[in-house]
Amino acid sequence: MVRLRTIVPVVDVLANPRSMAGLRVLLVAGSALLAVAVAVRAIPPARATLPQDVVEERPRLPEPMQLLARGSRLRAAELDRWVSEGHRAAFKASRQILFSLDGCPPLLDWIDGTEGQSTERLLADLRAGSREDALAALVLVFQIGRACKWSPGMLARTQNAERLGGLLQDWLRVWGEKGAKDPLLAQPALSAALVYGRVMRTAWKAPFFSYNRATYERASAFLSDLTGIPSGRRTDFGEALRARYARAAEKLLSPNDALLGLEEEAAVSFPDLIGTCP
Amino acid sequence: MADLDRPARSPRAAKWHIAIAGLLVGAGGALLGLQVDANGRFSGTGLTPLGIGALLALVASLSQVRSAGGLPRDGIGAFAALSAFLGLAFVVAGALAPGGPWMFFEVFLLFALMAARRRSAGEGPRWIGGATLVALGLMLLFRLWISYQGSEHRWQVLSIGIPVLSWIPLDFLEPIQSVSLGSFTPRELGFPPAGLSFAASMALWAVGFCLATCGIALAQGAALEHENDRIHDLIHTLPPPLAQLVERLLPEEEWQAFGLHGLPERRLAKRIEALASERFQRQREIQAAFQASALTALPPAGGFAGGIWQALSKPVAPVVDDPIAQPVAERATGEEDRG
Repeated sequence: MVRLRTIVPVVDVLANPRSMAGLRVLLVAGSALLAVAVAVRAIPPARATLPQDVVEERPRLPEPMQLLARGSRLRAAELDRWVSEGHRAAFKASRQILFSLDGCPPLLDWIDGTEGQSTERLLADLRAGSREDALAALVLVFQIGRACKWSPGMLARTQNAERLGGLLQDWLRVWGEKGAKDPLLAQPALSAALVYGRVMRTAWKAPFFSYNRATYERASAFLSDLTGIPSGRRTDFGEALRARYARAAEKLLSPNDALLGLEEEAAVSFPDLIGTCP
Repeated sequence: MADLDRPARSPRAAKWHIAIAGLLVGAGGALLGLQVDANGRFSGTGLTPLGIGALLALVASLSQVRSAGGLPRDGIGAFAALSAFLGLAFVVAGALAPGGPWMFFEVFLLFALMAARRRSAGEGPRWIGGATLVALGLMLLFRLWISYQGSEHRWQVLSIGIPVLSWIPLDFLEPIQSVSLGSFTPRELGFPPAGLSFAASMALWAVGFCLATCGIALAQGAALEHENDRIHDLIHTLPPPLAQLVERLLPEEEWQAFGLHGLPERRLAKRIEALASERFQRQREIQAAFQASALTALPPAGGFAGGIWQALSKPVAPVVDDPIAQPVAERATGEEDRG
């Protein structure tokens, strides 16, 4: 009530057309607004976010990207002690099978076999586990991409590539946004997106004439949700992607080929992941 | 007579209008000077376009001062001029492309428009004309269009697909499948590093443009009215009957055409004195000529000459509150009674 009593006379003075004080207040407010209108033009835009290394407290798994690169077989065994105890044995078995797989079987043939099915079940379990489990799952998916044939070839058999894309998409769906600011998973999650873009683009472009539109639309819709870039409201993952791979992020806005940037970056970072077991 | 009843400290409507115009221009300018990036953060649109806008506003103001004559003579008048000047600078800065060759092309176009502008006689002080406003509106639309293109990461005004070639789904044909017209860069558009949020920025600019143009229009009209108030105040320092006679001789609608606006008080008084004398002399000459013609010639009843005669000989109704006309009417009535 006290406030109301204070405010009412002020409003009366301002609203009264015969009030000199009201006019003065308006003139002062107008002058201030004019000055503000000039001043706001000098507000600097927010600086671009630059990628920074986040150092994890010890004990930690150093250089997790080495576990996804071509030399991953040299360090893959390190993961055994990081994986949750309940999945450790299964992980060790699947790791040994995958890293010793020869003959480059078609991905669908292998994953629908006995070893493949158990690995697929393990992947689902690891995705639901800790961050170390998630990294272990991603290492297995990358190794599937290296050890199995998923390139569509001349006959444009895109099912293998689409299945690999599905595995990556499942992992990204769970850990993409969550891992964007995680010291252990930040870089691996971005790498998973790059490889996902490459795999799905390969499937999209497989037919000699025309395109496999369904694959492209599925991938672009998923990446749009994951990054938020096309909608203009970036997620943490979208921010991280833009900070590290600006061209790939910008290409996501292309109406013709949103996956091109991801494929280009994947070709640089993972030249061996081409679907034909080099 | 209503003005005479006004309390000594109560401001006139024109002053309120000028104050409100300042608020509108300030609010509009603030909105035109902001943009929203893709992360929802605000930043300024830069001082370079404002500099160009101020330059064009200066040209417009100088031409206005030269043609309308005189400078503002008090604080309120100066505030109106400042509001209109800044309003025009804000509107031009908001409508121009933020940089690059497009901006200079638009500046050239606006200079040409302002140089070609002609004021009609009796028109009040105008910082912005109808044609200029239309041109600025079109430029704002163009700016919104290129900002939209930029926000979609399409760095050209227009991309036209070549028929037949653009229908073939082969990658190697991509470079020749379309023709790009009017390319530009994010730097030319002054985009923030995170990219532009087109919807939010467009809303800010469109509302800002409307507020600022309304503010300019209000400032223009109110400045004219305020100047008339000043002349009116000076005339009303005369005794009331004399002041009313002067206002009948020099109607308010003609004060701008007489060049009374913007004159300092001493020169204004001299000018009113000269004009009143000249008008009164002419009235007397006309009266004398009329009386002489009425005695010598009686035109026929019908036709063009008869119509003119009837119009001239129509009796003038006495004005009740006219202190000059009333004694004349009373005298005429008394003479009739005596007769």
